[in-house]
Amino acid sequence: MRVSLRLKIVGGFGSLLVLMALLGWVTLSLFSSVRIVQEEVFDDAIPGLVAVDEIVRSYTAQSAAVRGALIGNPPILLAQYRSEVDTARFWQERSEELFTSGEERELLAQLIEAGTSFQTLVDERVIPLVSQSGQRSQAFRIIGQDGTALISEIERIGALLRDSQREVMIQSEADVRNNTNRTIIILVIVLVAALALAVFLTVFLPGRLVGNLGKLVEAARAIGRGDFDQKIEVHSRDEVGELGTRMGEMQQGLKRLQQLALHDRELEIAASIQRNLLQRELPEVPAARLVPLQRQANLVGGDWYDVDVYAGTMTIAVGDASGKGIAAALMATVALSALRGERARGGSTKRVVGAANQALLDVTDPESFTTLIYVSLELSSGQARWMNMGHHVPFVLCAPRGTDPRRGYYLEGPRNRVLGWFDDPGLAENIVDLSPGDRLVLFTDGFLEAKSPEGEVFGEHRLAEAFIKLGSLDPEAFGDELVAHVERFAAGKLDDDLTMLVVEYRGTDLASGEADERSGDD
Amino acid sequence: MAQQKIDIDVTESGGYQVLRPEGDLDVYTVGSLRDAIGSVIESDKPRIVVDLDSVPFMDSSGLGALMGGVRRLREAGGDLAIACTREQHLKLFTITGFGEGVSIAPTVEEAAKGFRAS
Repeated sequence: MRVSLRLKIVGGFGSLLVLMALLGWVTLSLFSSVRIVQEEVFDDAIPGLVAVDEIVRSYTAQSAAVRGALIGNPPILLAQYRSEVDTARFWQERSEELFTSGEERELLAQLIEAGTSFQTLVDERVIPLVSQSGQRSQAFRIIGQDGTALISEIERIGALLRDSQREVMIQSEADVRNNTNRTIIILVIVLVAALALAVFLTVFLPGRLVGNLGKLVEAARAIGRGDFDQKIEVHSRDEVGELGTRMGEMQQGLKRLQQLALHDRELEIAASIQRNLLQRELPEVPAARLVPLQRQANLVGGDWYDVDVYAGTMTIAVGDASGKGIAAALMATVALSALRGERARGGSTKRVVGAANQALLDVTDPESFTTLIYVSLELSSGQARWMNMGHHVPFVLCAPRGTDPRRGYYLEGPRNRVLGWFDDPGLAENIVDLSPGDRLVLFTDGFLEAKSPEGEVFGEHRLAEAFIKLGSLDPEAFGDELVAHVERFAAGKLDDDLTMLVVEYRGTDLASGEADERSGDD
Repeated sequence: MAQQKIDIDVTESGGYQVLRPEGDLDVYTVGSLRDAIGSVIESDKPRIVVDLDSVPFMDSSGLGALMGGVRRLREAGGDLAIACTREQHLKLFTITGFGEGVSIAPTVEEAAKGFRAS
C-alpha cells in the first residue's frame, strides 16, 4: 500500500497532538481527583470530627456545670449549663448538614436522642432540686446514676462517629494514592509514546527522507556522468519511492537511447562503407547515358546497382536484397563483391550471376534472398542481353517519334528465380534490341509497393502510366519527378528504398545524339 | 527497427495447423509469423497452411519469412503450404520463383492437399 509523505507527516504530528491532549487530560483528571479528596477530607471529614468532639465535650461540660451548681454558686454555673446546651444544639444542627450517609445520620440521631434525654433529665429532675437544699443529695444521685449513664452513651456514640470520620479520611488518602499511581503509569506511557513519535518525526523520518533523496541525487550524478548502471535502491512506499522507481525507468530509457545512439553511429559507418561501395562514379560513354536515382528510407539498405564498361559492352546490374537495414546491406555487399569478382575474371553473364547466387547461398539464412536484373548492352548495336533473377521486369520507354507521345512497355520474358535461396535458380537469358533514344528503366520494388494512406499500393499500372507521362523529360528530371509522383501518392510516407537506373541508349552515330537532344527538349 | 505485433489466429485442422495472420506482413511485423511458425516446428506434426487472405500487404521480409518457414519445416520432416487468392501476393510468388515447389491454392483444404510426403 502506498503511504504518501503528506500522510506520514500529518499523521505523525497529528498523533503527537493527540498524545499531548491525552497528557493534558490525565494531568487535569489528577488535579480534579485530588480536589475531590480535598473536599471530602477538609470540607466534610475534619469539620465532622470537630462537630462530634464539640457535641461530646458540651454534654460533658453540661454535666460538670450541673454538678458544680449542686455544690454552690448556682446562678453562674446554671448559666454555663444553658450556654453549653446552646453550644450542643449548634453543633448538632451543623452535624446534620455534614453527615450525609445513612449510618452516620443514624448514629447522629442516637447521639441527639441521648443528649436530649440528658437535658430532659437535668431540666426536669435535677434543676428543680438545686434550690431546695435538702434535696441536693437526691439530685446528685440522679445525675450520678442516670446522668452518668447517658454521658457514657453520648461518649460511646461520639467515638463511633469519630471512627467513621477517620475511615472517610483513610479511604480518601487511599483514593489519592491509587489515583496518583494510575496517573503516573498513564503519564509514563504517554510520555514514552510521545518521545518515540517525536524521535520518528525528528530523526527517523527526515533521516530516511534525506537518505533516499541522497541516493536519488547520487543516481542523478551518475546519469550525468553517463553511468546508467548504478542501481537506484529506494525502499519507500511514498512519493520518494515513486520518484525512485520513475528515475530507474528513466535511467533505463536513457541507457537504451545511448545504445541506440551507438547503434546509429555504427549505422553511419556502415552507410559510409555502403556509399563507397555502391555509389562510385558511373562510367561515361557517348553511346549511353546513365542516370541513377537512389532514395533510401534508412541509413543503409538492400538496394544496389553496379555498372561497368569493358570491350564495347556495358554491364548493368540492379539488385534488391530482401528485408531492410544492416542485414540487407550486408547481403547487397556479398552479392556485389561476388558479381564484381567474377566479372573481373571475364566471366559470362551466366557465370557472373551464378557466382553471386553461390556467394549468397553460402552466407545467408533461409529467410533472405536477393532479386537481380543483369543486363549486358552491346554499345555498338544496342542489343541488350538480360537476365531476370526473381526481380520485377524492366520498363522500355521508346524513343519519341515526331509529336506522338512516347510509348513504352514492360519487358516480359523468361524468368529465373531469386538468388541466395535455390541451388539452381535457372539462368535463362532474354534479348532486346534498343534503338537510339530508347530508355531502359530498371527499378526496385519500392516504387511498386509504395502505399497510399488508405493502404493501396502504387502498383505496375500506375508506374507504367507515370513512366509514359513523364517520359518527355530529360532523364534526371524524369527520375526526380517520378519520385515526387510516388511520394505524393504515399502522402510523404515512404518506408522502403527507391532505386532506379535509367539507361538511355544513344547509339554510336551523331544523328542519334541529336535525336536525344530533341527528346530532352520535348 | 521497431518490432510490431500482428494477430495470428492459429487453428488445428486434421493433422496440420492453420495460421491466419491479420494485417500487413512486412519487416516490422514478420517476427510474429516467424515465432508462430517456430512454435509449430517443435510439435510432432510440423505441417502448416498459412492463409494470406487477411494480409493486405506483404513485402520481401514477409515473403522471406514464409520461404524460411518452408525450408525449416521441410528439414523437420513437415511442410508449409499457402492459401491465397490475392493477386498481388500471387504475383510476388510468381516473380520470385517461390511459387514453384510450394503448394499454393485458393483454399486451405486445397493447399493442404499439396503437402509433400514426409
